[in-house]
Amino acid sequence: MSATATVPATRAAARPSGDTRVTFGRLLRSEWIKLWSLRSTWWVLPITVVAQAGIAWMIAYFGVQQFDESGMDYTVTAGDIVGGIQFAQLAICVLAVLAITGEYSTGMIRSTLSTSPTRTPALLAKGLVVVAVAFVTGVVGTLVSWAVTYPVLGEAHRVDLGLEMNQRILLGAPLYLAAIALLAYAIGALLRHSAGALATVLGLLLVVESVFALIPWAFFEKISPYLPMSAGSQLVMSDNPDAVLGPWEGYGVLVAWGVVALAAAAVLLKRRDA
Amino acid sequence: MIEARGLTKRYGQKTAVAGIDFTVQPGKVTGFLGPNGAGKSTTMRMIMGLDRPTSGTVTVNGRPYAQLKSPLTEVGALLDAKAVHSGRSATNHLRAVAATHGIGRKRVDEVIEMTGLQAVAGKRVGGFSLGMGQRLGIAAALLGDPRTLILDEPVNGLDPEGVLWVRNLVKHLSSEGRTVFLSSHLMSEMALTADHILVIGRGRIIADAPVADIVAGASGTRVRVRSPQAGRLAELLQGPDTTVTSVEAGLIEVTGATAEAVGELAARDGVVLHELTPVAASLEAAYMSLTADDVEYHSAPTGAGTTVQQGTAPASTPQEARR
Repeated sequence: MSATATVPATRAAARPSGDTRVTFGRLLRSEWIKLWSLRSTWWVLPITVVAQAGIAWMIAYFGVQQFDESGMDYTVTAGDIVGGIQFAQLAICVLAVLAITGEYSTGMIRSTLSTSPTRTPALLAKGLVVVAVAFVTGVVGTLVSWAVTYPVLGEAHRVDLGLEMNQRILLGAPLYLAAIALLAYAIGALLRHSAGALATVLGLLLVVESVFALIPWAFFEKISPYLPMSAGSQLVMSDNPDAVLGPWEGYGVLVAWGVVALAAAAVLLKRRDA
Repeated sequence: MIEARGLTKRYGQKTAVAGIDFTVQPGKVTGFLGPNGAGKSTTMRMIMGLDRPTSGTVTVNGRPYAQLKSPLTEVGALLDAKAVHSGRSATNHLRAVAATHGIGRKRVDEVIEMTGLQAVAGKRVGGFSLGMGQRLGIAAALLGDPRTLILDEPVNGLDPEGVLWVRNLVKHLSSEGRTVFLSSHLMSEMALTADHILVIGRGRIIADAPVADIVAGASGTRVRVRSPQAGRLAELLQGPDTTVTSVEAGLIEVTGATAEAVGELAARDGVVLHELTPVAASLEAAYMSLTADDVEYHSAPTGAGTTVQQGTAPASTPQEARR
């Protein structure tokens, strides 16, 4: 260390040269480095995949066993194969929330905003990285789910990939995870505190939606289908003519929740002191 | 160059910064001094666009920070040694910051070497000591080879070798024509490092002058006199402009008269003098006298004395030490 006490050489061959302007692409690159340089990412994402595929295997294994015993005629759909995203979404929500609240709790946000003083691009860049990673994780989780359920289902219960519904559900699972990640990220950016944001996101998905669905009053029955998870999960469910929202309508409602929350977060990020 | 005009920040009823004007010139080290809560950090955060001023403006190299297209190459800042995710390694933190400006890995390795972090660069920042955190913050500030450096308490937590390193670094950077703006609560450190000083108290600038001027302004006319006839001399010196305090038997301190005047008076009346010392104020004493009325949080009557002892206090007299 004693060498550093001499007159410091601040200039050297590698001092930044050329174009050093902050661009959206560079912010994406920075957020990519940030995400993968945290240990939590490296255990949350495998947990997400394992949870999704594990639940899918259980649904397939015990479901087939039951139907075979009861002798009922039953067609397995892709909805059974992606059933694991009910659990995978919780892990993805934790990742998405902590991606932004972790910056506030550690003070990193001040470094982030110093390098991106217009602020909104930094918020969008991180959001895009989180959503993209959630989508890819969903793709991997769905592929692994397919692989582990394939031998369990056997020839008798093969999922018909020719059916448009099954195609929609298999593509829908990663899309659903991406949209849920967007909502969780936006809530994290709004609330800025890890515990508060996690409680809000999980409370909304696990408690509020179930409670609304249970209360038989007209008001709650009207609202319930438009809540994020209820609406978005239409995309990964078998065709249901009685549903208030169709698969893509429901998904659109979920995305709208995320977009509105992120827009609110962007406005507040601009206004608030960091 | 940093320019603040009418810069104001209010939090509800409380005014943290009250319409201050100042200019930080390139080519020298400007120290920013003030008691806790005086508005130093708030001012620095407003310069960096992190806090929005209630009114007024502050520009860096002629533009508000938020309008800089390539902020890291204009301004490097160490605002808070903990502005780093504790779960990330030092190298990865610097890589992420550098990536926003397209600055390559080579420069990252270079600032790591410059700040002496090679041994710990791969370790997670959460385990860093305060001193290592400061070095990492300085490394991040240097990434873009900026024209302006803003360092909030850069020597906080550094060992003596690190303090010397920071002192040499900021002097070197200013000698290259850069603007260096640093805050410190260590007056002695500022006396050795800064060329120009801004003193802030209760959100107002109370002094803005070269270090030498500030010291000269406060080292008025205190004279220490040791005499076996101290009591007699004290009587002779009494006047509307002079105050005489008895420090101990045979030792008095005179304020409001020069050493020459005291000596001549003593000679005229045949008073024997054993010692006649003009007490030159240190920067520390100058700072204390400037901020005496502007300290936000008075820490009991002995507070001032405690602060004095933190730095080296060349001019601290027995009287001060006992007070």
